[in-house]
Amino acid sequence: MKIPFEFEGKTIEAEAQYVKGQLWVHVGGRTFVYEAGNKKTSKNKASAQKKTGDVAAPMPGKITKILKTKGDSVKAGDQILVMEAMKMEYTLKADVDGVIDSMNCQMGEQVTLGKVLARIK
Amino acid sequence: MTKITRVAIANRGEVAVRIIKACEELGLETVLLHSEVDRGTRAYRMATKQICIGPATTSESYLNIKANVEGALAGGAQAVHPGFGFLSENADFAEACQKAGLIFVGPSPKATKTLGDKVSCKALAKKLGIPLVPGYEGENQENAFLVKEAEKIGFPVIVKAAAGGGGRGMKLIRNSSEAKEQIESAQREGLSAFGSPKVFLEKYLDKAKHIEFQIFGDATGRVVHLFDRECSVQRRHQKIIEEALSPSLTPELRGQMGKVAVSIAEAAGYQGAGTVEFLLQDGNFYLLEVNTRLQVEHPVTELVMGVDLVKAQLLTAQGQPVFPEHHTMVPRGHSIECRVYAENPYLGGVPSTGVLGLVEWPEGPGRRYEYGFEEGDEITSYYDPMIAKVIVWDETRSRAIQKMIRVLKDSIVFGVHTNIPYLIEILSHREFVEGTMTTRFIETHFANALMAPAFTPLEKAGGEAALKNLATGSREVSGRDSFRSPFQTFWRGV
Repeated sequence: MKIPFEFEGKTIEAEAQYVKGQLWVHVGGRTFVYEAGNKKTSKNKASAQKKTGDVAAPMPGKITKILKTKGDSVKAGDQILVMEAMKMEYTLKADVDGVIDSMNCQMGEQVTLGKVLARIK
Repeated sequence: MTKITRVAIANRGEVAVRIIKACEELGLETVLLHSEVDRGTRAYRMATKQICIGPATTSESYLNIKANVEGALAGGAQAVHPGFGFLSENADFAEACQKAGLIFVGPSPKATKTLGDKVSCKALAKKLGIPLVPGYEGENQENAFLVKEAEKIGFPVIVKAAAGGGGRGMKLIRNSSEAKEQIESAQREGLSAFGSPKVFLEKYLDKAKHIEFQIFGDATGRVVHLFDRECSVQRRHQKIIEEALSPSLTPELRGQMGKVAVSIAEAAGYQGAGTVEFLLQDGNFYLLEVNTRLQVEHPVTELVMGVDLVKAQLLTAQGQPVFPEHHTMVPRGHSIECRVYAENPYLGGVPSTGVLGLVEWPEGPGRRYEYGFEEGDEITSYYDPMIAKVIVWDETRSRAIQKMIRVLKDSIVFGVHTNIPYLIEILSHREFVEGTMTTRFIETHFANALMAPAFTPLEKAGGEAALKNLATGSREVSGRDSFRSPFQTFWRGV
């Protein structure tokens, strides 16, 4: 929907729409997700979960490789598993040092965005 | 020859739409062969008939030869257009179509085999005296022998696992002192990753440009080229921006490369649209491979040459003439294509999936949009992340760049993140503007994710106004089930 607003003495139109609860805005040649009080464009859930022991799927996709099992000790940056989405491979790494407490996925499994695939304690 | 009245489309997304449009203009009906999850797409809504050929997983649907042939027959088609990707370069599919009495829109299975297979293509090129990237791909795998061969080729050299791909089992050798070790390492990786230690050597071109020639073989066997495209802007061998013509060729080079492209296609008895790819470095060109199909970036050639390649493919399949004699093959102006990918440029290109909100491609002279998804359609993680192509034409290259930047800024895609900000950065980069970019352009200048910019005062004001005036849930998009355009059912029913 077109939203007219006043800016520096001129009337400008923004295009805006809620999609799945997020407010999408296009104005001044750029598209962004707007959240009240935020200085930057909103980041998606995966990056918001930084520095926790949870290894979550940053996108929906298929698990193609499981490199660690329960009880393995890991260091931040170690590869935990590999998933594939949109014909590309992504390696998921540990954010923290610790021991794998649980692995919650199987080879070939199709997982949803944000699913916790492994837990490090 | 069988008369074609209905064409089956063994593909999805924007290319399926492109083929449907060409068919409609030629008065042909269409059957879309689609997977279970592709009902909410533009091609599905446009096709005359739709046949589901299997589940989302490509191996069971879009790559399933039997399902596609059976679907085409069940849909009453006389011909099959494979688009690009999926089964488009699969000679077995072309053969299966022939056996079932279907016309495969593309070259013969024999020509596909000769040119599509890298080894036989190189063998034919060698016979014709076409320059290839210098290398060794023989049976002798002794380390000392391979080191000697690498020295003969001249460093830097790349050693690649013969069974490899996707960057694995690939090592760069900068000088003879590290040759032995790097070859052994590639052999080890090849064995563990692909089950074979066999490697081959190739000269590493560290500042090469990707140049390709559009070729076309008509129904009478005549092969012509429709000039060149440059696609040096690539990320992990995935093209991002393409243009026609290349800013890097002298008339002499262009003439030589065009002749070579036609010669290899002629030798293979090529019919239909194809592309001969080259690498160009220091004024020398080397044949890379031949793609025996329509190319993603075909629109830039269409805009500078004033032709319709998809229609030409369909006409050729019907045995009709294309590119009439009076149509002089003279390129005009400059065209650029940007591939719009559903990904988050601020998170290093992580795929972005979800339901599309508003999608708006601003109209204007010299602008063309190829897209397969509209508001309410879902972008899934099963397939390629390319959701649209934006193509512009203008009189000169610099004006085309200027136009493309403006067009991208005015384009709107809500619901999934796109690489549009990334495309704008690339188009504004000095090296791209000067036309001197090589295939290492992206890894050199755009290795890291873009920094998410802070909101400008204008953006903040716009965001606040939207927040105030739009109540949550007002005209909210939440997927096909709850969102329906009133026009959709109306127009399809006419």
